[in-house]
Amino acid sequence: MRRLVIALTALLALSLAAAQTQLNIALQAEAGTLDPRIALSVYDNQLIDTMMEPLVMFGYDLALEPRLATSWTVSDDGLTYTFELREGVLFHDGTTFGSEDVKATFDWMLDRNNPATYIDLYADIVEVTAVDERTVSFTLGEQNAFFLNSIARLQIIPSERVDDPSFATNPVGTGPFRFVERVSDDRTVVEAFDDYWGGRAKVDRVVFRPITEDATRLLALEAGEIDLFQGQINGIDLARLEQDDRFVVSRTAGTGNIYLGFQHASEGLKDVRVRQAFAHLLNREAIVDRVLLGVGLPGVSMISPNTEWFNENVQRFPYDPERARELLAEAGYAPGELSLRLYTDENPVRAQIAEIVQFEAAQIGVNVDVTVEEFGAFWDRIIQTDDFDLYLAGWTGNVDPNYAMYNLYKSDGANNFNNYSNPRVDELLVKGLRVEPFSDEQFAIYDEAQELIVADLPGSYIYYIEETGVFRANVEGWRTHPYASSTFKNLHLVEKK
Amino acid sequence: MLIFIAKRVLGLGMILLALSVLVFLLVKTAPGDPIRIMLGETASAEQVAHLTRLYGLDRPLPEQYLLWLKQALQGDLGVSVRRQLPVADLIAERMGATIELGLASLLLSILLGVPLGVIAAVKRNTWLDAGTMVLALIGVAAPSFWVGLLLLSTIGLSVDWVPIFGRGPAFGPALLELVRGDARPLIDSLRYLLLPALALGTSMIAVITRITRSSMLEVLGADFVRTARAKGVRPTMVVVGHALRNSLMPVVTVIGVQFGALLGGAIVIENVFAWPGVGRLIVQAITQRDFPLVQGSVLMLGAVFVIANLLVDLSYGLLDPRIRHE
Repeated sequence: MRRLVIALTALLALSLAAAQTQLNIALQAEAGTLDPRIALSVYDNQLIDTMMEPLVMFGYDLALEPRLATSWTVSDDGLTYTFELREGVLFHDGTTFGSEDVKATFDWMLDRNNPATYIDLYADIVEVTAVDERTVSFTLGEQNAFFLNSIARLQIIPSERVDDPSFATNPVGTGPFRFVERVSDDRTVVEAFDDYWGGRAKVDRVVFRPITEDATRLLALEAGEIDLFQGQINGIDLARLEQDDRFVVSRTAGTGNIYLGFQHASEGLKDVRVRQAFAHLLNREAIVDRVLLGVGLPGVSMISPNTEWFNENVQRFPYDPERARELLAEAGYAPGELSLRLYTDENPVRAQIAEIVQFEAAQIGVNVDVTVEEFGAFWDRIIQTDDFDLYLAGWTGNVDPNYAMYNLYKSDGANNFNNYSNPRVDELLVKGLRVEPFSDEQFAIYDEAQELIVADLPGSYIYYIEETGVFRANVEGWRTHPYASSTFKNLHLVEKK
Repeated sequence: MLIFIAKRVLGLGMILLALSVLVFLLVKTAPGDPIRIMLGETASAEQVAHLTRLYGLDRPLPEQYLLWLKQALQGDLGVSVRRQLPVADLIAERMGATIELGLASLLLSILLGVPLGVIAAVKRNTWLDAGTMVLALIGVAAPSFWVGLLLLSTIGLSVDWVPIFGRGPAFGPALLELVRGDARPLIDSLRYLLLPALALGTSMIAVITRITRSSMLEVLGADFVRTARAKGVRPTMVVVGHALRNSLMPVVTVIGVQFGALLGGAIVIENVFAWPGVGRLIVQAITQRDFPLVQGSVLMLGAVFVIANLLVDLSYGLLDPRIRHE
């Protein structure tokens, strides 16, 4: 009899414990670090976002939303940004959040003796001032109309932990979930933070599992070992999952694009008509259909079509091999006369596209030599040398037109790999930073910049990256975010029925 | 015997030193800057220079190597450039998982391969022999990741208690729990080990089967076996007690050599099954040109391989008394 009572009690305890809801989320790769100051990849930020928060965050339409800051003002000269901070916010260790935490986090980033990553984003900041407990201000050296987008990328940590070298192994933030444990390459576990300012999360526990093999990830989803995943999903699998009632697929245009780049210092590519010919050789729809298996959108410009910055009146280059042939002849090249080298990294999609470009070029009598290089070697070549003619590359994280254009297309841009130069574009890109954000003037500036750059062809845009995600039908309240890093920012609203 | 071991340990030290120089040169002279790879194409040159300077990667190569060597001799394998965490910790966390997978695979391969090889040899030229050899051929030819995915999509999906990915409790501690009366951790540990060990061991099973078969065939034809049979020794005893024991030397040699291949194959299997081992770590470290991590991992694996072969050599003495008395 006693045995029975014990057994029943155990069963009861077990079932009560089992009443705790747990969400199992697959990650495409393991996060390198949980410290926002040295975070590098999308995966780092995805995890960090569940535990730590920035002052503002990107919404699903990429507009900025209040998070740890409730409102902000910009001085008339555009050099001082003042943020009002949210009241009643606690860190996971019970301490109160205030302006000194914001200042401490940013000061660490600005100190050149610290290994902060992406210091470029904050290079404009001259000083961060804790005006009072609930107010913090940033003084810039130069106007930057998109400064807020940089603020959105750094999550705040407690000022007392700023000099703690082991912060990454035991992170603390203001976010909806608190850190529980991490077993490298196996799992990261977080649990609901009861005192979260936005209300306690609807699930008790979230376990992140890195699974690098695409097939295994989907099998795990089918077997019920995983509830949710955002990341690369093969087009065929996506179609199958969309048909399956057990799962829900969520897709949206992302913030990146893949392009065919042209080295402007190459003899063969100096004539814009040759570049136009190549632009007309890209069958974007077919590439999206057959190479990407439907996961992606045909490229138009460096700006994603789902943003308000997109200018649809830029020059279009529909697939037209006949027109390409004509342009080549106009440029003075007879078939067989022109020979170019195309480089790409080992990404299988880009390797396939490289072959397609080679094939299409051959049809109009241009010889394209394709070389697939290992990632590191490829970027060494593109960044350090001019030893290439054509190249396939991408640019992601385009939350604003400045990010999409400045470093790539300005003559002295930090990432201008191909000697592209247009003085009028330079003018516009500088001006765009100095005018009122989201004003008609600013839209006009970036509209013109898009038109000029697309016509100049430093590259031709092949496709826009599409963000894909899938989750079990009993999960509610989540959808794929266009800016992949921010995808788990509202995980506390997700329910598992 | 002790001198034998001492000489081999000294040899190990020399091998590791040479290996460290080779790895250093390979990683450092390969195209691709680790900081640039870390930060991606969107980082500015200034950003790259900032971290390069901070991590001492702008110092002359010989200086970088000697600095590493000095630390290593003091037991400090340095800090991963990418993750900013101690290399020794990163490897130690995962080494157990890889060795566990490797040994499980090895054990499974021996337990399946040796009996299969014996059967094939004894039933030579029957359909049993031919069937086993065909299986062996498939095992060697089939890529391990394919076998892995096949096992997952068939057994993994249909059998509830077979998990799709990940690792269960560590085997050692789980065994201890069994001794203390709780069998659950051990069962969990084995549940997670089953498919990855099977997938990793497929080609090794095949190789062991064939070697066992050929070795047995040779021995079964020997005079002393005929003598044993003539004496009236039971057939099973002849096969297992006399023939098998004498045919194990080549099998053990092959195991030693194959163990290296096993460690290499673990990288692929660890990826397919999301097994948190050191193989995945190494692949990432190489792609990221994370020198301290590559160096530490390679040296660790190199040491494991050399020690495994040392154990194989020592086992000859156990198996063959003639060697023991040399």
